[in-house]
Amino acid sequence: MEKVNDNQLKSIPEEMTENGVTRRQIIKTGAAAGAVALMGGFPNISSAQNKTLNIVRGTYFIPAAQEIAKQQAEEFGKQAGVKVNADFLNWPDLQTKIGAGLQAGGVDVIELWPVQNHLYANNLVDMTDEAEEVASRGGGFEEYVLNSGHVNGRYLGIPHGNNAGTIAYRISAFEKAGVKHADKGGMDMTWDEYFAVAKECKKMGMPFGQSLGHSLGDPIGFCYPYMWASGALEVGDDGKTILFNTPTFEYALNKFVQAWKDGYDETGTSWDDSSNNRAYLSGKIASTFNGASIYYASKRRDDGGKLMNDTHHMLLPKGTAGRYHEFGTQTMGILNNSENIDVAKEYLKWWFQPENFDKWWRVQEGYQLHHVKNLANDPMWQDDPKMGIFKEIPKYGRLRGFAGNPNEKASLAASKYIVVDTFAKAVQSGDAKDALEWGERQLKRIYR
Amino acid sequence: MNSGSIQSENFLDRESSLGVLLMLPGLILLAVFLAYPFFLGIWLSLTDTRIGMPGEFIGLWNYVDLLEDEIFHQTAWNTMIYALVTVPFKAVMGLGLALILNNQIRFSNPIRAFIMLPWIVPTALSSLGWFMIFDPVFSPISWLMIEMGFIDSNINFLGDQLIAVTAICWVNIWRGIPFFGISILAGLQAVPPELHEQAAIDGANKFNRFNHVTLPHIKGILMITSLLSVIWTFADFQLIYVLTKGGPANQTHIFGTYAYQVGLSGTEIGMGAAITLYMFPILAFFSIILLRYMRKTA
Repeated sequence: MEKVNDNQLKSIPEEMTENGVTRRQIIKTGAAAGAVALMGGFPNISSAQNKTLNIVRGTYFIPAAQEIAKQQAEEFGKQAGVKVNADFLNWPDLQTKIGAGLQAGGVDVIELWPVQNHLYANNLVDMTDEAEEVASRGGGFEEYVLNSGHVNGRYLGIPHGNNAGTIAYRISAFEKAGVKHADKGGMDMTWDEYFAVAKECKKMGMPFGQSLGHSLGDPIGFCYPYMWASGALEVGDDGKTILFNTPTFEYALNKFVQAWKDGYDETGTSWDDSSNNRAYLSGKIASTFNGASIYYASKRRDDGGKLMNDTHHMLLPKGTAGRYHEFGTQTMGILNNSENIDVAKEYLKWWFQPENFDKWWRVQEGYQLHHVKNLANDPMWQDDPKMGIFKEIPKYGRLRGFAGNPNEKASLAASKYIVVDTFAKAVQSGDAKDALEWGERQLKRIYR
Repeated sequence: MNSGSIQSENFLDRESSLGVLLMLPGLILLAVFLAYPFFLGIWLSLTDTRIGMPGEFIGLWNYVDLLEDEIFHQTAWNTMIYALVTVPFKAVMGLGLALILNNQIRFSNPIRAFIMLPWIVPTALSSLGWFMIFDPVFSPISWLMIEMGFIDSNINFLGDQLIAVTAICWVNIWRGIPFFGISILAGLQAVPPELHEQAAIDGANKFNRFNHVTLPHIKGILMITSLLSVIWTFADFQLIYVLTKGGPANQTHIFGTYAYQVGLSGTEIGMGAAITLYMFPILAFFSIILLRYMRKTA
């Protein structure tokens, strides 16, 4: 392989490729990869023999992404001469695995959901240098990553974007319910308007679906934004004052209780993160809050594109206090009790190389939002205009625990499903006031 | 023979020293896998330890605090219902099953093996099967009942408080019946047939023979299986975790699942340990009754 020196690099004009990556960056990356190959592996890994790297990630709703992540882990193992175990866990079990890893070891690299970088701040390896390298290579981190990816200015892992959730709906059902331009997507609705459509759709035998069970994805992704949009917060910016049981939220929760009866599939109190996918894909519901996995699966159905053509997306509706999404970045971190920190770092540096990361990212067709600015203009986004709305979500993103810090208390409140259970109690009993008072008492116990 | 080997022979000949030696492996296993985690759990419950963070000794604060926790109250109540409602059903249905199996029927051995399946299959796996049966959208039971015109919409098996509690109790009963059935069957087969014959000659009908001959013989087994079942049901985890994770709105949480939620998901492992240790006096109470009964009957 020909070596490329710095002078040669500087002589290459900084033209952007269609991927938004400069030619100089591509050659630099290629040169780095070539250097790795020439040196026969990863020089920073000391005596790699007999080392085992344990990687734990969340299971993927896009199966191809999981397969690629697995293959890439194996590929790294071959190149670095280490044994690699890659496990993909059910989302609610990730924290348990982190806990077990911290208490007993056996976990090196871990995929962290938003806020978990704050929760385990004392147990993660500082990867600020590596993260900033990834950012500079990709034209800088997206703003939501800059806001949510670090803990007190340090990156405790490398951010890799997040799977964003929003409203997926059946165009035909919305049109029948009188929604104009449903085929164009991206309607700017209020919650009242959305619930009115739900009522019409339920009359047609196709209600809306929403999970209110004990699951960390969709229930939280729906309930927190509805709370924020209704003028309520778990806690104020002092991290102590509970601003949950507000008159505006009580009013909005009463509306939701009515909408649940009028427009929703009422079995949603026991749904988990996959129930709404299955219900939507089988034509049982007309709309739900979900990641792009529903649309992704609809594109692969053997129905002549019928469901895919009949599906579109819009942002979560607006409430009296605005529009919000529960959104921050995920990070790939390393537990600081790992015996393989050098191998783990090399793995992450290798995986975040564009030739690896982009392959994994593109196969998800927008399900995973990009972390760096260069990928905002990736051709992948041009392939399907129905996915464009997902790029808007970070603008409305807030983290759990807002307006306080995304700390262990916010995490405990989420783990105990306090906000979600407030919704579930309200729709079960029909008494929003009582449910809110219960939720407020629980939050006061947590944020005392 | 040298003096060393004589000494070792004496050592092994002595009942007291040999007894200690033979008990040692078991003692080590118990110390490592039971005593250490137990005492560690007690220590953690007296601290404010979070996962990955060292904690400080806070005395009984976690225990006192839980007394004011509404979710904990609900959890304790759920656990009592779960354990005390299911055991009588398991005992009665297990007894019925044993009485049927005790008759001379064809293929009795394969049938007995087949009936043991719910008990043998790993709970996580069988619970997944029930999870599909209770699916809120695709439950085959709902589908069948809608097709037959009994109901208009799907049954909310795991999302309505009363139905969810009933559903998880049913799965627990389903899983526990074989244990009762086979244990009681063993007891039934130990009842001397002459006693039944003599009672029949004396004019006792089937009900009387069951009441005065069979029941006294299997009373001990019924007692032991029931107590064991109460203890195991109190300490259950997998079934609830797979089916509901304690939802909806904590209405199916039991000690194990709530401790998991607070201690592992919520990282407050000190508090999680305190939740599980609230089970200890209850389990100890039933264990003492069980041991006293076993000692008495022995």
